[in-house]
Amino acid sequence: MGDTEVKHRKVNRNKNKNEKNKEIPNPAVDPRDEGDGESTPEALPEELTEEPILKKSTSPKKSEKKQRNAGKAGTATAGQSLADLPTLAVTCHFNLLPMLLFGVALATRFYALDQPNSIVFDELHYGRYAGLYQKQTFFFDSHPPLGKQLLALAGYLGGFQGDFKFDKIGSSYNASVPVFAMRAVPALTGSLLIPLVYMIMLQLNYSQWTAALAGFLFLFDNALLTQSHYMLMEPIILFFAMSGVLCVLKFRALERSGNAQAHSYSLRWWGWLLSGSIFLTCALCVKYVGVYSYLLGLALVGHDFWEKVLGNLSLTKKQVFGHAVARFFAFFVVPLMVYIGVFYIHLTTLVNAGPHDSAMSSAFQASLEGGLSSIVRGQPLEVVHGSQVTLRHAHGSPCWLHSHAANYPVKYADKRGSSHQQQVTCYVAKDINNWWIVKRPNRTDLAVAAPLDRISHGEEIQLVHGITGRNLNSHNVAAPASPTKQEVSCYVDHNVSMPAQDVWRVEITNREEIGDVWHALESMVRLIHVNTSVALAFSGRMLPDWGHNQHEIVGDVMVNQPNTIFNVEEHRYTRNEDEKDRQLELMTTDFIPLEPVVMGFWEKFFELQIRMLFISNENVQNHMYTSSPWEWLVLTRGIAYWVSPDSNAQIHLLGNIFIWYSATIALAAYCGLLIFYLLRQRRQCYDIHEEAWNQFRTTGEVLLLGYVFHFLPYFFVDHTLFLHHYLPALAFKLLLNAALVEHLYYLTRLIFAKQFFNWMCVLIVLTWMSGILMVFNKFLPLCYGLGPMNATQILDLKLRETWDFIVHKP
Amino acid sequence: MKEKLSPACKVDSSPSPPIKTSLDKQSASQQFCRPAFTQKFRESTGGNVWWTIFTLLMIATVSVRFYKLRYPEQVCWDETHFGRHANQYLQRTFFFDVHPPLGKMLVALFGYLDGYDGSFWFEVGKKYGDASYMGMRIGCAIMGALVVPLCFLTIWEMTASLPASTFTALCLIFDNSLVVLNRFILLDPMMLFFISATVFSMAHFNKQKRSFSFLWWFWLSSTGIFMAGSFSVKFVGLFLVFLVGLRAIYDLWIILGDMSRPVTYTVKHFLARALCLIALPVALYVAIFYVHLRILHLGGEEDEFYSSAFQVSLKGNMFHNSTGPREVAYGAVIRVKNNVLEGQYLHSHRQLYPVGARQQQITTVYIRDPNNRWFIKRHNQSSPLWNATDPIDLVRNGDLIRIEHRTTGRNLHVHRGPAPISNKMYQVTGYGVRGEGNDDDFWRLEIEGAAEGEVLEIVRHSFRLVSPNNKCVLTSTTKNLPEWGFGSAEVACNPKMHDDRAYWHIDDNRYPRLPNVSYTIYELSFLERFIESHKNMFMGNAGFRPKISDFQSRPWMWPINFRGQFFSVEGVVIYLLGNPIIWWGHCLCFLLYFLLWIVNAVIEKRAVNIAEKQLDLQRRTLNTCKWLFIGFLCHYVPFWPMARILYFHHYFPALLFSNMISGMMLNYILETFSEKISPKFYTYFVSGLLLVFFYSFYLFTPITYGYPNRPSQYNDSQMYGMKWISSWEF
Repeated sequence: MGDTEVKHRKVNRNKNKNEKNKEIPNPAVDPRDEGDGESTPEALPEELTEEPILKKSTSPKKSEKKQRNAGKAGTATAGQSLADLPTLAVTCHFNLLPMLLFGVALATRFYALDQPNSIVFDELHYGRYAGLYQKQTFFFDSHPPLGKQLLALAGYLGGFQGDFKFDKIGSSYNASVPVFAMRAVPALTGSLLIPLVYMIMLQLNYSQWTAALAGFLFLFDNALLTQSHYMLMEPIILFFAMSGVLCVLKFRALERSGNAQAHSYSLRWWGWLLSGSIFLTCALCVKYVGVYSYLLGLALVGHDFWEKVLGNLSLTKKQVFGHAVARFFAFFVVPLMVYIGVFYIHLTTLVNAGPHDSAMSSAFQASLEGGLSSIVRGQPLEVVHGSQVTLRHAHGSPCWLHSHAANYPVKYADKRGSSHQQQVTCYVAKDINNWWIVKRPNRTDLAVAAPLDRISHGEEIQLVHGITGRNLNSHNVAAPASPTKQEVSCYVDHNVSMPAQDVWRVEITNREEIGDVWHALESMVRLIHVNTSVALAFSGRMLPDWGHNQHEIVGDVMVNQPNTIFNVEEHRYTRNEDEKDRQLELMTTDFIPLEPVVMGFWEKFFELQIRMLFISNENVQNHMYTSSPWEWLVLTRGIAYWVSPDSNAQIHLLGNIFIWYSATIALAAYCGLLIFYLLRQRRQCYDIHEEAWNQFRTTGEVLLLGYVFHFLPYFFVDHTLFLHHYLPALAFKLLLNAALVEHLYYLTRLIFAKQFFNWMCVLIVLTWMSGILMVFNKFLPLCYGLGPMNATQILDLKLRETWDFIVHKP
Repeated sequence: MKEKLSPACKVDSSPSPPIKTSLDKQSASQQFCRPAFTQKFRESTGGNVWWTIFTLLMIATVSVRFYKLRYPEQVCWDETHFGRHANQYLQRTFFFDVHPPLGKMLVALFGYLDGYDGSFWFEVGKKYGDASYMGMRIGCAIMGALVVPLCFLTIWEMTASLPASTFTALCLIFDNSLVVLNRFILLDPMMLFFISATVFSMAHFNKQKRSFSFLWWFWLSSTGIFMAGSFSVKFVGLFLVFLVGLRAIYDLWIILGDMSRPVTYTVKHFLARALCLIALPVALYVAIFYVHLRILHLGGEEDEFYSSAFQVSLKGNMFHNSTGPREVAYGAVIRVKNNVLEGQYLHSHRQLYPVGARQQQITTVYIRDPNNRWFIKRHNQSSPLWNATDPIDLVRNGDLIRIEHRTTGRNLHVHRGPAPISNKMYQVTGYGVRGEGNDDDFWRLEIEGAAEGEVLEIVRHSFRLVSPNNKCVLTSTTKNLPEWGFGSAEVACNPKMHDDRAYWHIDDNRYPRLPNVSYTIYELSFLERFIESHKNMFMGNAGFRPKISDFQSRPWMWPINFRGQFFSVEGVVIYLLGNPIIWWGHCLCFLLYFLLWIVNAVIEKRAVNIAEKQLDLQRRTLNTCKWLFIGFLCHYVPFWPMARILYFHHYFPALLFSNMISGMMLNYILETFSEKISPKFYTYFVSGLLLVFFYSFYLFTPITYGYPNRPSQYNDSQMYGMKWISSWEF
């Protein structure tokens, strides 16, 4: 039925252009006149059609404009008499709506900003990192550092010394922590988000009322408010992402305007292009998920390039090439520079050793002040016959080659037999049993004497365990936890015709950089078992109780794998107790590197990248507040951020359920409409005006695509997920929601001729908005942690069974 | 005569080692027959040349695929699984497996046709002896070999280019990995068969000019049928649905755009596709399951994976002829089982926890044991005993109850200390003496999906036990306790109420005052059993998670032939490794394809002037490759984000598409240059290609057919020096 009606009112795009123009009154005020100068000259019909209703509300603007005109007129008349003097006049005009929204945003975001004065949720991490920046202490985190740097900067300006110990969620801050200053970063970026989305909607050719509606949705979403109120990363990343999207849209507008040629390479053109890519890269530098915003920007710019530049046959090959190079520069070279720059600051600031050092390689650690460098400074560089060393497994989580005075059990639990020789393991802590002595097979004395007997690549050695004096050995016996690999033991002669096979060949894998001689710290070595050609390897499995739950060490046929690489970490020369002692000491001093290990920025940068991207396995298992992407659509679960020790007052991350549900419905409605239009257009039925369709399509390109980019990947990751991971996608969804409201309004105008229905529409939207406000207000205590609250008040808020609020007081 | 001496003649000599002779023959015959034949080969539209080449290719396929099929005469690799499942079909014993049943049913069928009785116990490396295993191997090999003609005909159907089809077939024939995969009792050859048959039918279907003709219906429904076959063998076959679905949507979109037809015409097309590509495959799939569940009607060792209600219908199972009161009354002796896959029984024993509160351990165990029996009591009762004169008091949903361990007289109890392993949950202990305890022993019974006050029934009802005092729910964490727990698993109380492992049911109930009823009333309908089987399969599949830092085969390794997979048994080295020349050739062809794609897109966008013929060739090639490439992506990309443990053989469905793209690309290269080079050179090139294919195949035959051999590091080994990449492990 509705179908026929629409058909009846089908718009004929080709013939009725004039008629259409007649139907639509000429605009009295184009809202975009006030704002920015970049918007396209031609006005859009659906915007115009709103005019009759908007008239009343836009009156302040109108009067403003009148005043402006009056002002102009005034100067003009004055100028009559003093025609030869230059006019001195400042004409300024404000767009009141975004100002108002921004004001409310600031008020909500900054309200009671330093309350609660204790650690809320992930402030535990981010606050701690900000503190470590003050102390210039190195830390390892799997996210890039920009957001933490901003927090640290705010902390620095607020006088934070980094002395506070962030121990657990809920402990109170003391006076040394500038809580307000640090929380001001997310609060400010979170507030700026609102004018930003306002401008984005204008840029997408929506009316200012729709833009204001988008701002309203952002403003009164409890999740965005909660997130902006504490030291968390999401508002920062959202701010950068939205700024980037806005710049890219402005850039597109230039590209798509009538005289695109004239704008090319202009200052504005470069400005929007570069700022777009820089902002998007900044989003990426706050958290890696920002990469999806970057990809969205890239897709938009790339699509325009394909259609507007490459497809523009009036451009010469050279011009096309020039455009390609400019975009490549802006979207690949500049981001790379920004990204490296952020890490440059990170690595040059953090020069002191700290708690996470062991995540990094020995050389990296040695380059930090006060950590390993204080231990290894002054230790000999070259490994020689008689060197006492600890061997660190160089890849992944740190552990050291270890043995202890206990043998492998005769029979394992799965009834396999062992050699019953002394266990060799990889131990995750520093221990006296990690020391080994490097020895040539043919020599018996162990003292280091001049001339030094250096060990080089390809030479054969034995490794003697320092405490038990037994040799590292391997043989054709299945390893305890990995039956397909070979057992490694410290040789014990049980007199069972099992000879010692304890000679190993040293292979230095990075000898192109380091040279053939085995160096402590720097040389990455593989120990190849001479009899069976297996490599000493870390298998990744744990030994059971009899092996004190240490990691298994095996002989692996697969030589060429990262698990077989070790390096010498601590190193000293064996000295004898006799008279050679002094002599040796004198001698060794010559070989001590006098300066600490210096690692260049690039080496550090690449090592950190590799560890951040591939080796970080921060996986919080069994966390109480995890949620899955499907649950985000209907807000099944929140996250408890903080609870007051005295009452049930608490902070709980929850979206404004009214907004979230309507946004989900809007998403479905948009997709339904899109499919409907596409199918109808395939049958040559054009139900809406071409401009309306273009706007609808662009909305899909930017907002729907943005939503999909930020949401779909979560279905495929194997991490523990939380509700706050959804916020970037939500931002696009809220914008889509606002856009859909305007489109529906357009449709009512198209279908129903009577004014009455338009008023109904406005009324429905207003009711919806007041509903949003009510829900927002109801859940406000959970955003600020306002109290005190009793159990019934909390349970009153529990609209869904699955929301786990904390009730620990009556 | 001329045709016999064609370049394609080389194919028939390929299985036999003397390459030398084929070279000689070639050079001897070059002068006179080549150009004419080349021309015919290039432009063949059927007829003699076509049939000659097709026949030669088939001979080559058969000789390569069936050579030494009996060898090794031991059980290799996954033969142990599929052989055992075949046994179970032949002996009608129920089993649990994560794959759908069609493949294993076919294996059993092949065995049955060969007269195999299902009595051989498959174990890796065990000699077959006089068990007749060849039927199963031949069946698998036939299905695997059929892939070659199917792919050949698919490309023929899509492009009508004999060279492209021939190259595709050659890539398939001389790929060592496909030969290895086809030689054993495995599901992969069957799945590859079904996939290629689906694509073949699809290609035919798309060629149909007249909609709703008999042939149109025939090929449409055969697409659906073969597609059902592919995902009834392994769930990996489901990726094929993407391809078929996308193609159907694309077709419908084109049909919709045809303004000369009414919309109802599109609706008809849509309904036809929905019928043949959705309804028919689903119906077949369900039918296969029906057969599966009908055949396997005897209880076996893996029954415990399924719910008690499921087990009732298995003959020989403990529940099959069991009886017991249907409703649970206060004072009854019950046995409680967890609802998860392979759920365990709630258990207790006299030993105490060495950690936390030193109270009696509460655990879960697999075995049935007198210590699994519990009394159910009202919360204010301490003694479970009842008087014969009292009215029977039934347990109802929402009741507060107490549960007492029968042998030790301790109550199921929880307190707010951390559980021994899952320290975010509370510790559950046995507490009190002879049923006396405190209010931490109270549990509120919450029956899933039942109204307040409904009577608790055994087997049918699943319920949670919630501690009202501690606000937590009784959960089996399935984590094994250390030695002090005697190998049983932890029970804890989870304050996070939404826990899948918190559901329990009662599978045994003893109460003399209520009449015993037969368990047959709990028997599940086919649909319920179907659904439960799927739940279990998915849980089983999700359980295949790799251990950290185990060697993992990852998708990026597959296309570049980074590492193979051992099929060896003692004394025989068989290694699943692609023919490196062909595989790396595929990579090059992919690069070429991308390049061509981009170049063509730019040419079209910029309206560059190039020769009409060349443009036409590009368009045709790209159009065909587009769907093949989508097929490749459908079978390859989904593995990237998978957290499940992956194997090399998961790549082979994608490989089929990759082969076809390579065939297309080789043809494209030759066609592009055919104008510029002499026909002679064309011939040299084709024969050279053929030789390279064959020779590279020949080089790796020792590990393909498992010739007795020594590891490759010894220089008397036939594989000496063949370890081109250090990651290959032979």
